Amino acid sequence: MSEHDEDVIERVVDELRRPVQVDPAVDTRVMEEIARLPVRRGHGGGPAAGAAWRWLTRPRSISLSPLGGLGIAAVLAALVLALSGRRPGSPSTPPAERAMREFEFVVVEPHAARVSLVGDFNDWDAARTPMRRMQGGSVWTAVLPLRPGRYRYAFLVDGTRWLADPTAPAARDDEFGAPSSVVTVGSS
Amino acid sequence: MGTDKVETSDADLVRRVLAGDTRAYAGLVARYRDRLGRYAMHMLGDREDAEEALQDAFVRGYRSLARCYDPERFGAWLYGILVNRCRTTGARAARRGRVFVRDEGALNGVPHPSAAERTEWEDAVHRALARLAPEYREAFLLKHVEDLEYETMARLTGAGVSALKMRVKRAREQLQVILREAERV
Repeated sequence: MSEHDEDVIERVVDELRRPVQVDPAVDTRVMEEIARLPVRRGHGGGPAAGAAWRWLTRPRSISLSPLGGLGIAAVLAALVLALSGRRPGSPSTPPAERAMREFEFVVVEPHAARVSLVGDFNDWDAARTPMRRMQGGSVWTAVLPLRPGRYRYAFLVDGTRWLADPTAPAARDDEFGAPSSVVTVGSS
Repeated sequence: MGTDKVETSDADLVRRVLAGDTRAYAGLVARYRDRLGRYAMHMLGDREDAEEALQDAFVRGYRSLARCYDPERFGAWLYGILVNRCRTTGARAARRGRVFVRDEGALNGVPHPSAAERTEWEDAVHRALARLAPEYREAFLLKHVEDLEYETMARLTGAGVSALKMRVKRAREQLQVILREAERV
């Protein structure tokens, strides 16, 4: 590459690096949209617990190695079962609600004290969808009505371990830096 | 005697938002609006699309803030979301069949100087950038304009480092050819 060519690229870069001012009205629109969202409920333990939760749920903490200690071997299987026969609503239910389908999310975690289902459907808020331990056991479930669409989700074990669902497709387009799974809800 | 202004860190603002202080998010938006906006505008070349992508990225960032594992690096995390939003918006614009046209206002911001003040060179650069394939433009902007390391770019884009190096190289070559042609005209 010639010196002239290098010089051209340098001048291009100089031009493109010039500061750009975006319309500050964007700030207002963002904050207005946020104000319409459900109130954030945190992670059940205030800022300190939130920080701990974030630290502990970094991608490295979900490695299926012995380092994770308790429960690693316990992730035996996980299932997402579409309960097609369990549709809420009656003929008088509005069409939008009739279109919802209940999904049961299942994960096997014998040593967990608590497990939460987090995903696009609950703003990844660990406080919103705690899973229920099946009698006597290691199986945790949560049933959630979902509208047709594509949702990314994961399991949060004891507020510290983030698990993708090993039996579901991985969310390859996840932009938030942690593994997650995908469930697609059909319209029929 | 002046007073040193101590700026609240990204991590502090993130913690406040997660604790329920929604207004703290406005500080993060104001802090990153112009920097991220520059990328969106260069990438999309259209004011309306760029602002839509930027706004969407900020809102998605808020909704998923609990997944920002390293609040100190909130900016880098948000960058990843914006890169994705720009891809989606760009693909949608392409499906609409919109020709990539530079928007004077988009590139100058608001308020912006008179379009007459822009030089031929500036115009040529933006037209050349617009002619690159989106993946080449993305790689070139992230590497040379946003000054990111290839490893960081790989995390943001999902592409491999060698593929990204190839895209940057091709982008540079194509920009040189396009701008040489423009000089001859």
